[in-house]
Amino acid sequence: MSEKTVVAPKPHVAHEVHHEELGFWRKYVFSTDHKVIGIQYAVTGLLFLLFGFSLMMLMRWQLAYPGVPLPLIGQLFGEARMPGGTMLPEFYNELGAMHGTIMVFLGVVPLAVGGFGNFVLPLQIGAPDMAFPKINMVSYWCLFLGGITMLGSFLVPGGAAQSGWTSYAPLSVIAGTGQTWWLIGMIFLITSSLLGALNFITTTIQLRAKGLTFMRFPFFCWSQFVTAFLLLLAFPPLEAAGVMQLMDRVAGTSFFLPSGLVVSGQALANTGGGNPLLWQHLFWFLAHPEVYVLILPGMGIVAEIIANNTRKPLWGYRSMVYSLVFLGFMSFIVWAHHMFMTGMGTTMAAFFQTTTMIISIPSVVILTALIISLWGGSIRYNTPMLFAVAFLPMFGIGGLTGLPLGLNIADIPLHDTYYVIAHFHYVVAPGTIFALMAGIYYWYPKATGRKMNETLGKIHFAGSLICMNVIFMPMFIIGLAGVSRRLFDAGTAYAFAQPTMHWNAVSSWGAWTLALFQIPFIFNFFWSIKKGAVADENPWQATTIEWSAPSPPPHGNFAQVPQAYRGPYEYSVPGAGKDFVPQFEA
Amino acid sequence: MTKEPSMGGTGNRLWLAAVVLVMLFSPGVAVAASSITGTVTFDGKAPALKPIDMTAEAVCHKKHGAKPAPNEALVLGTGNAMANIMVWVSKGLPAGKTYPAPKTPVVIDQDGCEYKPHVMGIMVGQAYRILNSDGILHNIHTLPKLNPSFNRGQPATVKEMTTNFPKPENMFQVKCDVHPWMSAYVGVFTHPFFSVTSTDGKFTISGLDAGTYEITVWHERLGTQTASIMVGGTDTKTQNFKFALPAK
Repeated sequence: MSEKTVVAPKPHVAHEVHHEELGFWRKYVFSTDHKVIGIQYAVTGLLFLLFGFSLMMLMRWQLAYPGVPLPLIGQLFGEARMPGGTMLPEFYNELGAMHGTIMVFLGVVPLAVGGFGNFVLPLQIGAPDMAFPKINMVSYWCLFLGGITMLGSFLVPGGAAQSGWTSYAPLSVIAGTGQTWWLIGMIFLITSSLLGALNFITTTIQLRAKGLTFMRFPFFCWSQFVTAFLLLLAFPPLEAAGVMQLMDRVAGTSFFLPSGLVVSGQALANTGGGNPLLWQHLFWFLAHPEVYVLILPGMGIVAEIIANNTRKPLWGYRSMVYSLVFLGFMSFIVWAHHMFMTGMGTTMAAFFQTTTMIISIPSVVILTALIISLWGGSIRYNTPMLFAVAFLPMFGIGGLTGLPLGLNIADIPLHDTYYVIAHFHYVVAPGTIFALMAGIYYWYPKATGRKMNETLGKIHFAGSLICMNVIFMPMFIIGLAGVSRRLFDAGTAYAFAQPTMHWNAVSSWGAWTLALFQIPFIFNFFWSIKKGAVADENPWQATTIEWSAPSPPPHGNFAQVPQAYRGPYEYSVPGAGKDFVPQFEA
Repeated sequence: MTKEPSMGGTGNRLWLAAVVLVMLFSPGVAVAASSITGTVTFDGKAPALKPIDMTAEAVCHKKHGAKPAPNEALVLGTGNAMANIMVWVSKGLPAGKTYPAPKTPVVIDQDGCEYKPHVMGIMVGQAYRILNSDGILHNIHTLPKLNPSFNRGQPATVKEMTTNFPKPENMFQVKCDVHPWMSAYVGVFTHPFFSVTSTDGKFTISGLDAGTYEITVWHERLGTQTASIMVGGTDTKTQNFKFALPAK
């Protein structure tokens, strides 16, 4: 690593800032402190992950036992959704659309970017806070309003959105009132992400500690930095598209409604001139970069934990950084591989196939570098490390199974089947969510001053690893048999789906068992706040700057102005007195 | 014997007066009992409609004896009497008078991938009970202009659902998005003065007060006709209608 120091803007530090005593509301609710906001984001994200997971567990009952009344709780959902406890197709669609929306936009992104980004990034670059603390607070509350709107949509007549998490037009335009709420909710969520992205970029560039050059950044900082650019550049088209769809629904415009649209045998009155494919383009122009928004922070977390627990520098740090930046750039020119079935021409299909194959290269470079980083390490198999190591093959399976979907000829039979569900869930469930779990166990001592219980953590890990695979591996089999992901009854009516029906029960029992294995985590999360082993400021013997702050850090973060003297992963340096040399120690 | 001073006669008159009073002041109970009756026939040679091929849905195909099911768009009885004609009072009812909806529901069944009945009337707020005798996935989708659309799947195991229509509305279609040939028609009225013909083509609307009424008859393909009819206190008036194919 280069020892060259650069002059970065001098950050404010704790002792230089006047701290007025804040009341409860400003300290814990409408806080401008990045750590409080980070925790708000993280807790909100975790709660929505649990809620979205619950929606999925309901769906899994219907898929495992189509048409069979759900015992005990089925009748609680009312006659309009589950008469006699039997799920109606519309409710299944509601659950499907809202599961996807909530897990992506209200679960993983708020936790990965809002939670970890807000809490860790300023600490890791030696900043006292985000560059725009009030905008940071507004960003969280926009997310909160978006979340409330999405939850509220379940209560409107006709229920929540039912047009899939992609909200494809024209179905979404003619759908019930819940879709309007979905669009308004999305506008709040997108605004939240845009404000956050501006803050992250400005903070990363302007508030890094003296000596912290870009190539001394921990990989996590790079991952958040690139993610912020993705959010900033990819979300505005979807926000515009969301407003346009809202106008189509409430103001009689026809951006996405084609001429001569006939629905249920009746011609719609206010249609004409619009283009349903325009929605798909605008949606996927966001949603493919969004896939990397979901995965890059996870890669950043895993990199930190692997370096720390192998007690080795990351192998190929520079290659990883260049790959990350290249991956961020390429993510803007692959979106139409989601649209091969729309009848695009061969030239366009060839272009997007090519870019899709190319984007797999930086992903493989990063994954390979992380795997090689394990080689020869003195590995500590603590809970964060177990989750981080498990991320590697899980993300590997998710990534590699995506390649056939990026090829036009293979995508045609696989499109919209359970194969696609299996592929992207391997990326974001045992992939990203494992990385996020690793991050929670890893930075929990920094946030609370205590470590989470290791035994409970390992039970959580082992159960989750097994269950995740029991859930998603059968979906490859079901998908390769050609079963559509959209069928509310798992394909009961189709002869070709019959040989795969039993796999749905396997998958569902995996999901419900996974829920049980989250109980140790939930207990551990709250129990350890008061009862966990006390952690000092650097309980993992780590090298990056956040570990120089007290645990938990006070307002302003650092007692002394932090400075970076070296690269982020100086582990097992020959001749050093200990097996780590923090970048913040002179 | 001393005859009882006409207690029986006075008692009868009191009873009669009481009954008249109850009838006068009881909402929804018509004092008069005029009726309008008639027959609807088809004029000319009936067109040959293409029967419905249900081979795509094995359960229903079997219910029809593995043969195509007859097309319900034009159902004729003896003497070209037309079934599935909705007849209702469209004008002339006393302003401000309200008629309570019956407690009994109107039932529509999905049987053999057909709606039974094919045409039906219902009062505002009256329960609309939807049965699934087929035991396969159906979807019941109403296409009203004024009422909220009801669009709900009915899986094999859900044998019954219930809804209602909050606003009066002339005939609109009910269809199944799973089986596109399935079609029925519903009219929602604020009063009970409607009737649907069966294969004898006959309709009867009874319980009308004395007055002049406009009667509308409707067929799903051949449109509507109206007639103005005056009835007295206890009349039964006959008004026949004829539908024909539009001239080419």
